[in-house]
Amino acid sequence: MKRGLLFNLVVPLVSLGLLLLVWQAIVVVFNVAPYVAPRPLEAIQSVTGNWSILWPLILGTVRETVYGFFCGAALGLLLGVAMAKIPFVQQLFYPVVLVSQAVPIIALAAPLVLILGFSITPKVVIVAWIVFFPVTVNVLDGLNHVDQDLVSLARVYGASRWRTFVLIEIPATSSPLFSGLKIGAMYAVTGAIIGELAAGDGNSLALYQEHANANLNTAAVYGTTIVMTIIGIAWFLLVVGVEIWATPWQRRTVARRGLRHRGRGGARLLDGANIGARST
Amino acid sequence: MPTHALLELREISKVFGETVALAPTSLTISQGSFVAIVGPSGCGKSTLFNVIAGLLKPDAGEVRLGDSVVTGATGHVGYMLQKDLLVPWRTVIDNITMAARLTRRVTAEDREEARRVAEQYGLGEFLRHYPSALSGGMRQRVAFMRTLVTHQQLLLLDEPFGALDAQTRLEMQQWLLQVWRDTDRTVLFITHDVDESIFLSDRVIVMSPRPGRILADFANPLPRPRTVADLTNPTFIELKSRVMSLLHGSNA
Repeated sequence: MKRGLLFNLVVPLVSLGLLLLVWQAIVVVFNVAPYVAPRPLEAIQSVTGNWSILWPLILGTVRETVYGFFCGAALGLLLGVAMAKIPFVQQLFYPVVLVSQAVPIIALAAPLVLILGFSITPKVVIVAWIVFFPVTVNVLDGLNHVDQDLVSLARVYGASRWRTFVLIEIPATSSPLFSGLKIGAMYAVTGAIIGELAAGDGNSLALYQEHANANLNTAAVYGTTIVMTIIGIAWFLLVVGVEIWATPWQRRTVARRGLRHRGRGGARLLDGANIGARST
Repeated sequence: MPTHALLELREISKVFGETVALAPTSLTISQGSFVAIVGPSGCGKSTLFNVIAGLLKPDAGEVRLGDSVVTGATGHVGYMLQKDLLVPWRTVIDNITMAARLTRRVTAEDREEARRVAEQYGLGEFLRHYPSALSGGMRQRVAFMRTLVTHQQLLLLDEPFGALDAQTRLEMQQWLLQVWRDTDRTVLFITHDVDESIFLSDRVIVMSPRPGRILADFANPLPRPRTVADLTNPTFIELKSRVMSLLHGSNA
């Protein structure tokens, strides 16, 4: 456990520290002018020093990211399942899905704002637009690669298609599903920032950065970038955490005590029709 | 000796495109017997199994189980393949109760029975383990327990030990005979391994390909209980040479 913690937490932190160190070294060694690139500490101070202004903006971006992520994930899952299960739907939607991703999202952002106004909606739509694709593709792929012998076995036992889907096919797709969600999580913030830029409303992280740039406040430009990056990483790590929690068989040999068996039907993600024991 | 017919196949046939997977085939299996089917790849033994299990609808013929016709229907046999097909996201006990979960609500009795069976046959300490923690032999045992607690009278085992090393396979064969004796089920057992077919069964059915059909049906005179010593018993050797000569031509 101790070694696991060291490996999983300390080593990544060291690598992040090294990144800052390289940044510091480049600025110092090449004597980079402050308006071109600040030192890491200056960038960080530009954030901590303006925390009361930044905090509501951060919350706004987080809200757009999270709402958009959930909308995109739900849409992606639904579309992936529908395409895997109904060949006609796959034929119908595959080209549309491809086109949706080939369109440069930045070119799409401006008309979206025109249509949907300056509210949170266009930002959520853009995030969902980006997030649904990896989820759909991975779920579709995962469902198409479920071991057919396992599906046959369920049929031999007399299982309905619905139970086979919920108890066999969906859990068997959990790995690709989470891969899609992780990719989506990483890109979600980018979508939110693109939306904020296109909407151009003053009360956003993206616009705050634009103003800083216009004022040659380079430290704040870098600082805001760091903040955006942290939002993305935090959201990604949260999804990873949910994956670890929801798929204990990936790294455990023995089930967590109290999760199942003696207790109420377990609360496992993706186990919608959990038909576990009633409390005994 | 059991004489009551449990399973009856009447003139079952199946064609895939140009290939006659199964020429019209009839077969009667008595209740409580252990019947082995041997034959090379493509002899139609898996097709036969899939027809009995209801996964395939035969082009012609009828499958009767007990008093009812079950042609093309599922949910009436226990079924096990060379692949253990345990689901990695469920613990051993939840894998054992999988058949119940797939058709209805898992009850406390289901869990109690799974626990009892696992403890009786040496897996009691692994109930809460995930399958990835188990060896190949243990996984096959769990797969067999899952088959057992379906409470189906007829168990179809399609090369269940085919992927195991020789040592483990021999252990598993003895284990299977013990469980079979304890539980009074009827077993249809597909294998490539002639030794295995004779060591386990009351009857050895030899199949041949193009078209898939039953070539011979031997009663196995070897007494029970069987031990490893039976593998070199003259009765064993004699039956083996008869089966081998059918499988590999008459130069045995």
